[in-house]
Amino acid sequence: MEEDEFFGEKTFQHHCSEFIKHSQQIGDGWEWRSSKDCSDGYMCKTHFQIKSGTMVSHPGTYAGVQTCPPVEEVLEVPLDDAEATETAAASEVIKYEYHVLYSSSYQVPVLYFRASFLDGRPLALKDIWEGVHECYQTRLQQGPWDTITQQEHPILGQPFFVLHPCKTNEFMAPVLKNSQKINRNINYITSWLSIVGPVVGLNLPLSYAIATSQDESNAL
Amino acid sequence: MAEEPESVLQLPSTAAAGGEGLTDVSPETATPEPPSSAAVSPGTEEPSGDTKKKIDILLKAVGDTPIMKTKKWAVERTRTIQGLIDFIKKFLKLVASEQLFIYVNQSFAPSPDQEVGTLYECFGSDGKLVLHYCKSQAWG
Repeated sequence: MEEDEFFGEKTFQHHCSEFIKHSQQIGDGWEWRSSKDCSDGYMCKTHFQIKSGTMVSHPGTYAGVQTCPPVEEVLEVPLDDAEATETAAASEVIKYEYHVLYSSSYQVPVLYFRASFLDGRPLALKDIWEGVHECYQTRLQQGPWDTITQQEHPILGQPFFVLHPCKTNEFMAPVLKNSQKINRNINYITSWLSIVGPVVGLNLPLSYAIATSQDESNAL
Repeated sequence: MAEEPESVLQLPSTAAAGGEGLTDVSPETATPEPPSSAAVSPGTEEPSGDTKKKIDILLKAVGDTPIMKTKKWAVERTRTIQGLIDFIKKFLKLVASEQLFIYVNQSFAPSPDQEVGTLYECFGSDGKLVLHYCKSQAWG
C-alpha cells in the first residue's frame, strides 16, 4: 500500500486491522470497536498496573524485556486542588485504557487514554504521569498542557485525556518519506504508536517491528 | 547516503551523556562478522573471557537531521535507547526542546528503556545493528 501524506480513514482502518492481527498473535490485547452505526470505529487496549510502579503486563509473549522502571520522583506539576496523593504504602491496581481514533480534521490517528482505580475513581493526569518513562517526564513538565488535553471521546462521549495530534504529521513525515524512498511499506499505526505510546506509559513490544519486516519480506 | 572514512577518535567520558562504553569503530575493524565473534573495537577495555559486551551500531540520519561525523559506534549491550538518544543529542548539540527519535527497521521506535543488546539480537545483521535517528520538535 502506497504511503503518502494523505492518511484517510480507510487507510487508518486498514493499518489498525493489520496491527490488531499481530496483537492477536502475541496476545497484546488490542481490539477493534465499532461505533453504534458502524460508520467508524477505534482500536483499544486495556491493561492493569500496580501503582507501586511495577508493570503487570497483559498475558502474552514478546521479544524483549518490557518493564516499566520504577518512578519515585514527584512531578513538579502544580495541583489546583487538594487531591490526596497515593503513597506507595498500599499497592493498588490501576486500569489503563488506550484508544486510537481517527481525526478527520488532522487526518492522523489520535491517542485517547484514561486511567482509573478498580472502584472506578479516575486518576488525575499527574498520577498517570507517574507511570511515564523518566525520559519523557521532563518534556511533559515543560509544556504538558499544550500537548495533553482532556476531551470527550467522540464515540463513547466520556472524558479522556488526549495526546494532541497537531504535531503528528511533523514527526511522521520523515518516517513516511524515508519508507517511500527505500520503497518499503510500513504500518503507519505501528510506527506512530511506537513513538507516542511511551509518552503516556504505553510501550509496544518489539515483535511489532519484527512483524513489519516479515510482511515486507513476504511482499518481496 | 555515502559512508565517509571514519577517523578513530577516543571520546572523553565527559563528552558523553553518561556514555561510558561508547567508542567509535574504525572502518577497518567493522568487517562483517557473526555476532558471536570476539572482535572488539580498538582501544576498549573489555574484560577478557566475557562474552562480547559491546555491539556495533551504525547510526544513520533520517530527513533533515544532521549527519553525525562518526557513524559507527561500539556500544555496550545494556545501553538503553534513551541513553543512546541522550548521547546523540549531545553529540549533535541539540537544544532541549528538540526531540530525537531512534528507529529500527527505519520504521519502529523502540521503547526508551529497551536495551541495544536485545535490538541487536533481533535486528542485527552482518555483525552490526543499523539504527536510524530523526530530529523533531514534536512536543516543543
